[in-house]
Formats: sequence, structure tokens, C-alpha cells
Amino acid sequence: MKVSLFITCISDVVYPRVAAAIVKLLNRYGIEVDVPDIQTCCGQPAFNSGYWDEARASASTILDAFEASDFVVAPSGSCTGMIHHYYEELFKDDRVRLAQAIRLKEKTYEFTQFLVQVLGIKDVGAEFPHKVTYHPSCHGTRLLGIKEEPRELLSHVRGLELIALPHQEDCCGFGGTFAVKMSAISGAMVEEKADHVLVTEAEVLVGLDMGCLMNIGGHLEYRGEPVRIMHVAELLEEGVRRAHEH
Amino acid sequence: MLMSIRADHSTVQKTPDSVKGRAELALNNEFLRRAVKFTTERLKSGKLAAAEEHGNWEEWRERGRQIRLHTIAHLDYYLEQFVNNARAHGVHVHFASDAKEAVQLTMRIAKEKQAKSAVKSKSMVSEELHINHALEEEGIEAIETDLGEYIIQLAHETPSHIIIPAIHKNRHQIAELLSKEAGEDLPPDTAVLAGFVRKKLREKFLEADIGMTGCNFAIAETGSMVLFENEGNGRMVSTVPKTQITFMGMERIIPTLDDLEVMATLLPRSATGQRLTVYMSVLSGPRRAADADGPEEMHIIILDNGRSLQLGDTHFQELLNCIRCGACLNACPVYRHIGGHAYGGVYSGPIGAVLTPALNKNMAEWDDIASASSLCGACYEACPVKIPLHDMLVYLRHRKVEAGRGEQAEKMGMQGFRFIMSDAKRLKMIAKLGRWVQKPFVRDGKITTQIGPLKGWNAYRHLPSLPSETFREQWKQLEQELHASGRPTVHEEIRARMEKLVAARNQSDHMHAGDMARSSDLQAASRLKAAEGERRDER
Amino acid sequence: MNDKTFLAELDAQSRVKQEEFFDHIASRLQRPRQKTAPIRTLKGAPEDWDRYELSLEARITQFVKHWELAGGHAHRLAAMKDAVLLIQDMVRHTGAKHLIMQDQPELEPIQTALLRTKEELQREEQQDINLTIWNAHGLDDAAKGWLVAAAAQADIGITAAHAAVSYTGSVVLPSSEISGRTVSLLPTMLIVIIPVLRLKTRLGEVLRPMDEWPLAERPAGIHFVSGPSRSADIENDLTIGVHGPGIVHALLIEEA
Repeated sequence: MKVSLFITCISDVVYPRVAAAIVKLLNRYGIEVDVPDIQTCCGQPAFNSGYWDEARASASTILDAFEASDFVVAPSGSCTGMIHHYYEELFKDDRVRLAQAIRLKEKTYEFTQFLVQVLGIKDVGAEFPHKVTYHPSCHGTRLLGIKEEPRELLSHVRGLELIALPHQEDCCGFGGTFAVKMSAISGAMVEEKADHVLVTEAEVLVGLDMGCLMNIGGHLEYRGEPVRIMHVAELLEEGVRRAHEH
Repeated sequence: MLMSIRADHSTVQKTPDSVKGRAELALNNEFLRRAVKFTTERLKSGKLAAAEEHGNWEEWRERGRQIRLHTIAHLDYYLEQFVNNARAHGVHVHFASDAKEAVQLTMRIAKEKQAKSAVKSKSMVSEELHINHALEEEGIEAIETDLGEYIIQLAHETPSHIIIPAIHKNRHQIAELLSKEAGEDLPPDTAVLAGFVRKKLREKFLEADIGMTGCNFAIAETGSMVLFENEGNGRMVSTVPKTQITFMGMERIIPTLDDLEVMATLLPRSATGQRLTVYMSVLSGPRRAADADGPEEMHIIILDNGRSLQLGDTHFQELLNCIRCGACLNACPVYRHIGGHAYGGVYSGPIGAVLTPALNKNMAEWDDIASASSLCGACYEACPVKIPLHDMLVYLRHRKVEAGRGEQAEKMGMQGFRFIMSDAKRLKMIAKLGRWVQKPFVRDGKITTQIGPLKGWNAYRHLPSLPSETFREQWKQLEQELHASGRPTVHEEIRARMEKLVAARNQSDHMHAGDMARSSDLQAASRLKAAEGERRDER
Repeated sequence: MNDKTFLAELDAQSRVKQEEFFDHIASRLQRPRQKTAPIRTLKGAPEDWDRYELSLEARITQFVKHWELAGGHAHRLAAMKDAVLLIQDMVRHTGAKHLIMQDQPELEPIQTALLRTKEELQREEQQDINLTIWNAHGLDDAAKGWLVAAAAQADIGITAAHAAVSYTGSVVLPSSEISGRTVSLLPTMLIVIIPVLRLKTRLGEVLRPMDEWPLAERPAGIHFVSGPSRSADIENDLTIGVHGPGIVHALLIEEA
């Protein structure tokens, strides 16, 4: 079984700790993770802006990188959603690429989906005695239907107090280039999202997409609010280490 | 609110011609933001509760979608069936290719009737026509009779929400407008204000020569038109005046009254969370010879006005499935912050962001309306007939780029993206370069400067600095460490699960069908793909 | 140009235009004109829904609940004579002066009773009631206009329902020469008589048979009414009785 990591560009360059956490966690279950070096980005920034040639150039590296994999795991509902929801459209005029895209879609999973649906793991044996709130990112929820998996995983973490985020389904305003192009609207959206996070009085905000977390976390920092942002994988991995230290 | 939004005043002008500019103005209007937020949140939770109460909502949505897909795929047949049956009831049916033709037809009828006044119930199609303006130019008084529409007519504004047109007005502003009309001071009390409007409009209904309505649905099988409303003004304008003129978008058809049960379930629940609107009227022609009320003459003007452009277009045909419930507006976080007027068209919110350019035959020219979305998909989730609006927004952006109308800076940025992302080696190089470039700006692991491309982002946030190593750069070492620490063998159960999944995947490989093959009607639509390029040129 | 020639001219133009219009649709859809009925695999509500059928008692309970939730008043009455008493009572208590009611046969006992009440009140010199019966048979245009005018000034309108739907809390009111549309629209208060055997569970039970109604028998207006007229257009604040009746009473008659 060849399990490959789709690092995603943001996790590679800005949040390498997230990709590392996934590899370490899977290693505990004996799963050796393969990291193809030719992968870059799923192409979403270009695709969503309408630049499909540019998106294809980037997405092609993903198609090629995982040809030989049995499973592909990614620390992002959005990048996984791109593969699942848009690759067929993007490559519809290229028979060979289209076939590749369909094969990739079938084997690509967002991290919590992979853990719960594929491996059947709900309790990683972690301990994390903190108040935590969870922001379900739009693409993971709406394009992939991820609803229960992260909650299931978090519910088994000992000491963790999960506080419901009010209006959790609202978009944080990230939207890739939207945050830059329509910065005032995006700013108003992230401000509202941050208000909701602060209402929970959580110490940690977790999610499945570093883009959204960078947005909310960046705004909280701008306001001087000391809420820590973490990917669910990071939290679980840190929690497992903590449990083993005891 | 812990802080206020700081708009970039240097780019805000008096009458901004971009969504961005209008949005920034709207964002600075604290009342507007709060009013829109309050109302949309109420409607949104009402809708969710109504869907939940009804049960099996997904099944009903899918049914609604199938009925709409089927009807639109055979629109010529059902439209013809409707027209024949309506005529058999004595309806005068007319066809208008565009707004101008519809206005001409209306004016011919109004002049023939020597009309002095026309009362109107809410109709988005009539907003497309700007019919009030045309009537007034001929000296015919045009009165909006929906409470919200009446208010914005007095204010000389346009609706900012499909369902709640005056969502942006508070009761004090409304009291002021109505007091002017009443010639006396009316208190800002809803019951008093509504009471005044009831009395005032009652006179108008009884003396008007023409009643004008929209059309929620038209039933092919019976030649009936159906109106959904809560106030009763729709019934007034279609009962009291001698002549009724109905404006109907050509896609409003459904095959039978049986199908109406589905629409009557989806529309009110999605729009306001009601089980059914207070009035649902199925109107089949003018009054019968023996009847004592109802219009003596009924005209239905069937309007194209850009709708047929969506037919045969695989990306946009589903736009014609829309039943105008407004659920996407209420679900949209962008709409909630900027309100309807910022969209700058007759239709606002996510549906407006797609429909406006689509109907205007110039998708590529509508500059930034499609950019005003984070593509969160809340609109799709809320839509009772499952129109993939978030996907359509991407297709719009794509067509704009294809037409060579992409912004220069963005285009260059995307060329850079392509250069970097088409080769992992370049990505690695750029990461290194980035770490070097960021050095003078990093404070405590973050970047706060607002220069160049960072301006939009850092006006509301801090940016994390790049760590000393990318994941790739640490991978070799991490891999060795993990290897050295001794990896356990994979649990039998886990291995079995994985193997089972791979086996199942290989088996289903040969029977693979794409996402587009979900229904026979869509299949028919996808057969048209070949001809699409040609049509795209027309836009 | 008189009205007839004007309309004939418009209709002639419309028939020419419609061919162009339909051809254009077909050409956009990349196929020849569809002249025969398309095959439908799905029609109406999901199949499971058709099995949703409540007992009479459950239908009554559900109707009352939904009607009241929408702001209406509901009364369960054993027999028509109770409806008569209730309406007489309402007339006396509200001091209603102008009443209008359909000339439907099922309302006959109410009609007779109200005429009696009118005489009684006149004798007691308490109230002067003006009762209009809606029957357009043989009326000329002017007389028909007077019926509408009577509805416009009526305090109370009384009508019997063709059917009612418990799930949506709706009454169904088709128009005819003995059943005016304005009777359920213009008065301040509306009273609807519903013999409970006409009460269905689902909207589809009422709508589906209507597809089959012969053209000549199809009423010009079929109104589904589900409570008092309402609006939330001013600051989302619910107001009742904006244009239509603000007070609506449903009288469910349980005798067979």
C-alpha cells in the first residue's frame, strides 16, 4: 500500500509543522508515508480566478506526482475539494489527463477523512487539556461533506473541552485571492468570525485548512488576541506525544 | 463589535461604479450592515427550521431540481402547451424578446385602455423592464402595492432584497416617507404605518385601470399562472382592476399542478420559513362570463431578455431553474455585509452576481461582480433547486479571462504562479527567496507592513513569516528519524480496510461515469458541449 | 380602433412572434422543436410523500395547529347549527354592520339565520345590518360592480371552502358566479366554513385532481389561503392585515 502525502503549498512553505504532524501520526500506525517531490499546488488560486491554463500547469504536477499512489492524504479540505470537485472540469478536453484526474479523485482524502473513513481510527490516544473551538471550513464541509470526522476525533481527546463555535458554518472570508481583491469585505467577514471565536473563550482554534486558520489567526493577532491556531492533525499529534510523556 | 471596519477612503468615490467601491460604502453604513444582518439571519434560521420540520429536505431539493431541469430541457414544448391552454381560457399571450419589446406591448395596451393608473404587485421581471418609468412618462400613475416596494418607490430607490425589498430602511426613515405622503406626522410604529398604507392603497386598488403582476409559476397542463404572496396585494391587483397584465419570465413554467406541490413546498420554506405563503393563487384566464369579479381582460407577456442565452450552455443553463426565493442572499456572508445595492443590478446576492452578467449578454464585461465572493458555497447549500452558484462564479471569472479582460496585475501574478507551480524546483527556489526578502519586515515571527501586495491582507490581519525550512527541506531528515525510531507493523484490521477499498475502486473503474451524467436531462445538456465554443463568442 | 380589433391585432402579432420565439429556444437547445409530450420519469412530490396520510382526527388537529400558528382562529364545531350560533354571536359582539357571504348551498343555514338576526337587531334597534349575498346569476355589469363594492365595505366575509389542507394549514377557495374572489379578500374579517370531510392531509391531494379538471369547468381563480394577511417589510416586524383580511376564522364542521 502506497500512502502519499499531498503537502499542499501553504503547508509546505508556511506551515511545515502541519505536514510533519500527519507523517508522524500515521507513522504510529505503521503507515509509511511517501512524499513525491514533483508536487506543487492543486492550482486553486489560478482556477478560482479564472486562469485555467495556469491552473492546469500547476495541477498537472499533482496528477503526475500521485500516479503510483494507492492513497493520497492532504491536510486541507479545500485542496482535496479542488481535486474532487473541479479537476474533471479542468481537464475535460484532455483524455489522458482526465483519466488521471478521475483516478486521483478516487484515492484522495482529506486528513480526517483518511483517518476515520479509511483507517477506521477515531481515538488516537491523545491528551490535550485545553478549551478548543472548531471552525468547519467551507470547502471541506460543502464540497467533501466532512462533518462528523473531526468532531469524532476531537471528542476522544482526553481533557479537551470542545466549545461550539457560534455561526460556525459562516465563511471566514479567506477565499484565496478574494482576501486581497475584496479586502474590505473579506476584512468584515473575518472580523465577525473572530468575534464568534472570542465568544467561546477558547484557547485554541482548530480547523482543517491552514488558509482559513491563517486568515482568522492573522486577524486575531492583529487585534492582539492570544488565541492559538492549530490544524486538527497538529493538535492530535501534540496530544499523543503529551499522553506518552506521562 | 470590537472594532470598526476601516475602508480605504482613497478609493471610495461619490458614486462608485464597481462592486468593490459600493461595498466599501455599504460597509461604512453601520445601520445597513446591522439591518441586513438581522433580517437575513432571521430568514436563514427560519428556512433551516422549516426544512428540518418538513424532513427529507435533500430528497425534495433533488425533486425540485429534477422538475426544473426537465422543464427547461423541453422549454419550447411546455411553453407552447401553456400558451395554448392559457389562450383557451381567454388570455391574451404576448412574447417579448427583450425589455424594450415588453415595455412597448405594455404601453400599447395601457394606451388602448386609456389607463390613468396601474397598481402593481411585486415582480422582479418588472424591475428588469423599468416599467414604472415608462408608464409615468405617458402620464400613467404606477403604484407599487407590496408594502416594502411601496416604501422604496416613495424613496425613489430599487429593491435591495428579492423577498424583503426595503430591508435597508429603518422604521424612522419609513415613517418620514409615509408622513410626507399622508400630509401628517405618522409615528414610527409598524401597525400605524401599515394601517396607513392599507387605507391609502385600498383607494388605489379600487380606482386603478390596470393591475400588474409577476408570475411565480406557470402551469403548462392547465394554462394557469400562480402567485405566492403574504399581503394580499397580488390578489388585489389580479382581481379588482378591469385589465390584468402579467409579466412572466419565459422560464417560469412547470408541467403540472401536481408539480406545484413541490414548488409550493420549496419556495415558501426557503424564502421565509413558512409552510405556505398566506396566499397562493392559481389564476386561469380572465373572469368567466357568469363571474362578478376578476379581471375582464388578462394579458400575459412572456419575456426572454437574455434568458435564452443560458439555454444549451452547460455551465449556465441551470440558472433558469431559479425560483427566486432569496435563500442564497440570506445564506451569503458577503451579501450580509454589503447589502443588495452594492451589486448594482436588479438581482442581488449570489444569484444576482451570476444572473446579472448572464442576462446582460456580456458576462466578460461585468468587471468585478463575480469577484465579490469567497466561493464558500453557502448559496449552493441553501438553494432549494441546487443551482451550483459557487461553480458558476468561477466559470464567470474564467470567461472573463478567456475574453482577455483579466486585470493586468492579476494576469502577471498568474503568469508568475504558473512559472513557479509548474515545476517543484522553482517552488523551492521561491521559498528560499521569500525567506530572504521577508527578512527586513519580520517582527516576532510575523509581518505587519502594508506595502504592495500585502496592503489588502495586512489592513485587517498580520501575516505569518515563512519558517526557516519548508516541509520538503526537512523531509529527508524527518524520514530518517522516523525510520530509525522503528515503525510498528500496520494493524491487520487497518490493512484489511485499505485493501478492501483499493479492490472496490479497481472494480468500479470500468463503470465510471462523470459527475455530469447524474440525470438524463443533464446528459442531454452535456451533449451540447461541442457547440459551446461558438456560442461563447456571441457573448 | 375598437377594443376587439385592437386585441385581434395583438393576438395575430403574437402568433407570428411565438413561432420565432419557440424556434429560437429549440435552436439554443440544439435540437428541432419538441412537438410531442416529453417522457417524464418523475412527476410531483417524492413517492414516499404520497403515503403520508393522517386520520381525520389527526388532520383536524394538524389543521388547527398550523392555522393558529399562522395567526388564524380555529373552531371545532359539532354541527352547522353551532356555526350559525357562533357567527350570530360574532356579529352581535363585533357590531359588524356590513356582511357579505357567498350563495353556496352549504351556507344556506347561515344565510337564513343571519337574516333572522338582522331582523332581531333591527327590532332591538341595536344594529343595522346590511347583508349581501354573492350571486352574480343574470346580473349586468353595473350590478356586478355593486357586489364588489359591497365586499369592499364589508366588515365580515363568509365563505365555504372547497377543500382544506392540514399540512399547510390552508383553505381552498375557487371562484364561481356564487363564490366571489373579493368576498375572501376585501372584508376586514373572513369566516371560512370547512366541512371536515373536505379536509385533506397534503396539498397534492387537492392539486393533483385539478390537473384533470375540464377546461370549461376550471374556475378563473383558485385561492389557497393560509391565515391572515401579513407583512414583515418594516424592520422585520410582523404586521397583520396589510391588504387582505387581518382576522380569519376557520369553522370546522364535524357533522357528516
